[in-house]
Amino acid sequence: MRLLRRRLGSNSSGQLLIVAALTIAVLISSTTMYVYDLTRETTVAEPQSISDLIMSIRQSTRNALISSLANVSNGGPKTAIVANMNGLSDLLRNLRHLGTCNQAFAALNDSKYDSGSRLTWNEIDSGVSSAYANFTLTVYGTTARATTIYAVNVTTAVTLKGFYSSLSGIQKRVNATCKVYNENSPALVRNLRIYYSNAGNWTLVGAENSLTVVNSGNGSYGIGFTVSVSSSTVDVSASVHDLRGIFVKANTTCVSP
Amino acid sequence: MRRANTGQIRVIEAFFAVLVVFSSFAVTTNLTVAPGKTKRADLASIGLQALTELDSDGSLGNCIASGNWSALSDALNAVLPTGLSFNMTVYDEQSQQVNTEVITNGGFGGQDVAFVEYACANRGPVFHCYIVRLRLAVAS
Repeated sequence: MRLLRRRLGSNSSGQLLIVAALTIAVLISSTTMYVYDLTRETTVAEPQSISDLIMSIRQSTRNALISSLANVSNGGPKTAIVANMNGLSDLLRNLRHLGTCNQAFAALNDSKYDSGSRLTWNEIDSGVSSAYANFTLTVYGTTARATTIYAVNVTTAVTLKGFYSSLSGIQKRVNATCKVYNENSPALVRNLRIYYSNAGNWTLVGAENSLTVVNSGNGSYGIGFTVSVSSSTVDVSASVHDLRGIFVKANTTCVSP
Repeated sequence: MRRANTGQIRVIEAFFAVLVVFSSFAVTTNLTVAPGKTKRADLASIGLQALTELDSDGSLGNCIASGNWSALSDALNAVLPTGLSFNMTVYDEQSQQVNTEVITNGGFGGQDVAFVEYACANRGPVFHCYIVRLRLAVAS
């Protein structure tokens, strides 16, 4: 036994060294391979890129819907929403850098919305211009596929309330407050036109009416003007274009407090 | 003779063992992740996020619709991190190039070039949509 050990110790120690070296080499290689695999999994950028792409497409869709509502509210055809969304879906199919994109949509049709649009301008003290559509976006990436279902609602709403104080004769000083909202958040206007009803005719209020408009900066506009009407009430209308170009109108009847 | 050569053989064996160990290092260094891939992915993400931010208030679509290419270039310079060079091309629905001027901050080059596509819809009452193709590189 002792002899065998001596023989092994003297004759095989070099081979043992090489076997040990090979074992170490295999260990180093396998560890590095394992670390490489882990690193590769975490640095695959596609899911992050796809989520960025989905975010960007959602924003483009929203902008397209804003454009469509601006068109419809300014007298364009109600089919503009469907036509524009079709145009955007066609364009999205040309995006190729992360795979292919397919976006299907359905413009809302219910008691308030017709072909995705709603223009409610004849309600007392308020007016609404709105567009609503549901979307299903699928991105077919090279290694991943993502589907997202979302809805986009674009709404510009206006409230108008006021009263008048009698001046001399039939002259009246009207004070009104117009509030503008984009998706229920206060918003500013691009232009604001005030009309009053004079014997059934809507007349634009101008400088000759001593018109004053005070912008509070929070979507609230204080309006004052003088009119000569004989009726006991003054019908006032506000026509608003918000900063996105969406038109909305609201009417109110002012009485003496 | 055998006894005399034993020491030399041991040295050769040890040398061979060291060679085996270091050869594993030589092989595995080639397996490290290419940093360019990660950088390109980061650049693409930065580019897409910059375009998304620029278009959040519709200004990207407005600049394209009005053909204000210098304003577009300035806006991109403002939203992109310093040290990045860019080159942008805008195409319409018929894949025709829209921009009549080169939209770049100059000195476009570098090894890590990322490519980003963005579908841009303008907010104006007359609907137009565009494909914006942005190439980004770390300024050399």
